[in-house]
Amino acid sequence: MEVRIEDLVKRFGDVVAVNHVNATFESGKLIALLGPSGCGKSTMLNMLSGILPVSEGRIYFDDQDVTSLSPDKREVGLVFQNYALYPHMTVLQNICFPLKIKRIPKKERIERAKEYARMVHIDDYLDRLPKELSGGQQQRVAIARALVKEPKLLLLDEPLSNLDAKLRVEMREEIRRIQRESGVTTVFVTHDQEEATSISDYIMLMKLGVMQQFAATRNLYNDPANLFVADFIGNPTINQLHGIYEEGSIRADGFAKAIPIGNYKIEDGTRIVFASRPESVLVSKKSGETEMEVEETYISGKDTLCVLNAGDGFLRAYVDNEDAPEEKTAVRVSFRKKGVFVFSEESGERYYE
Amino acid sequence: MKNTSDKLKDFFQYLTLFTGAAIMFLPFFWMINSSFKTEKELLSFQSFFPKELLFDNFRQAWEMGDFLKYFGNSVFVTVVCVALTMFVTILAAYGFSKLRFPGRDLIFTVLVSMMMIPYEMLMLTNYETIRHLHLFGKIWSLIVPFTSSIFYTYILRNFFLSVPDSLYQSARIDGASDWQYLWEVMVPMAKPSLVTIALLDAITCWNSFMWTMLMSSGNRNIRTLPFGLTAFTSEAGVHYNLWMAGATIVVIPMIILFLFCRKSIITGVSRGGLKG
Repeated sequence: MEVRIEDLVKRFGDVVAVNHVNATFESGKLIALLGPSGCGKSTMLNMLSGILPVSEGRIYFDDQDVTSLSPDKREVGLVFQNYALYPHMTVLQNICFPLKIKRIPKKERIERAKEYARMVHIDDYLDRLPKELSGGQQQRVAIARALVKEPKLLLLDEPLSNLDAKLRVEMREEIRRIQRESGVTTVFVTHDQEEATSISDYIMLMKLGVMQQFAATRNLYNDPANLFVADFIGNPTINQLHGIYEEGSIRADGFAKAIPIGNYKIEDGTRIVFASRPESVLVSKKSGETEMEVEETYISGKDTLCVLNAGDGFLRAYVDNEDAPEEKTAVRVSFRKKGVFVFSEESGERYYE
Repeated sequence: MKNTSDKLKDFFQYLTLFTGAAIMFLPFFWMINSSFKTEKELLSFQSFFPKELLFDNFRQAWEMGDFLKYFGNSVFVTVVCVALTMFVTILAAYGFSKLRFPGRDLIFTVLVSMMMIPYEMLMLTNYETIRHLHLFGKIWSLIVPFTSSIFYTYILRNFFLSVPDSLYQSARIDGASDWQYLWEVMVPMAKPSLVTIALLDAITCWNSFMWTMLMSSGNRNIRTLPFGLTAFTSEAGVHYNLWMAGATIVVIPMIILFLFCRKSIITGVSRGGLKG
């Protein structure tokens, strides 16, 4: 089912939690609502589920306007951050509950519940109580319970935040698999960019209630709309040099030489932020446009991370271990075309070539 | 290994507990002990334990007093009272904890503050209410005033408040109405609290005396055991051994109930931090 959000606004008193958001979620896709805490992503999710009434704007499921529909009529499944399993019911009873409410006959109810329990690999624990399960198992139960009524939209609120690191990686792949298998349009909330980029088809990145960018996951990394997006996505974080734009170069603060960055539609003398992904910084002993000093080096796996002195700021770059320069020596640096962006220092908006 | 001061501490702790238990137990023991004695033996203080167990006292007391009828009335009043109280308490506690309506907390505060009004004052208004309902001298007069309890509502509300809202939202998304959520999720979860409340209420109803006396003085057919026992003491004449036998008959059902539900009473009381 396609989800369309039109000019959505949510206010809590004077605070605008969600500010005029427009987006369309394609049917059958996995969409991440991403952003730092307090950005309005959970508020968005709760408006989609119907738990929170909207202040302005409309929500459509396919062509149906569901803005004022109560949660029980929206045919959505929701997995809460704390899973919200009914503590007095066994796993099977928990999964059966939505069907019981729908007055589906007991035999069919149990059959369907077992089918979904198998899908989320929890079918060995059907007679256990939630408190007898681990966090990951509880979450599987919560997902099965959300899916068993065959919702048109599955919503997951910070589904992995209560799990330990190893289980988190395992469960996010599980979520991906389950979503593929069931084919249900899924929206999940997270503050972890790695989590979002690793499994989702699309990411909506939010900040203070305002949608920063809504794009296919790869595009968000390769083509950020503004400095916030470029900074939020990517690990390690993108390099940022502040300085003045001058004839295809940046005069970085505290750095003697101008660094060529290519021609952008910017007036000379404008303060800019020159952002480059660490893998887009090319370090060589001989060829390269700018000379910089290697401040520190760290070996991480097959690569060496070099920290290069660039005046007030610095650049991180990856070099093959064999080619790694010595600390406190000079190297020559140039940039790839890809993974290099220029933003306005004042507004964070992106400048194009 | 425990050192001497620990042992001494243990000794005094157990001594205190033993003394308390003895003080609690002695009247019961005296009642049951006396109920097996002949009247002469009881009054002459010749023996601590009865010379022979005189079960005949029970037969006589049972036949003289109308205990079977009293017992039936007590069971009826207690069962209906507890059932109605539970129903009203559950609904009220849910309303005051999870539903939103204007003045909710104010109304609840007023209700809680009413717990300070002495029971004897309420008897006057209850008397008037029963008179206007034309229930005077009918068994329902023993039930109607006790179908709700602010105290139990307060306890249950506190439990309901501790249930996270995400369960409610989850149930709503699963398609449940407030009514279904209450009975399918909240009530089963609150089972320990509910059992405690039901037991406390059952004991209160079973032992209710003042009101029963007021209502049933004119109609002996609606007497319950406690007042029936009092009436029996005047009707049977001064026969202490029979009185004690009658009293034993009256407390036995409650003792049985307590023995069966002891565990849930104790866990409930310690969990809710309430006293009976």
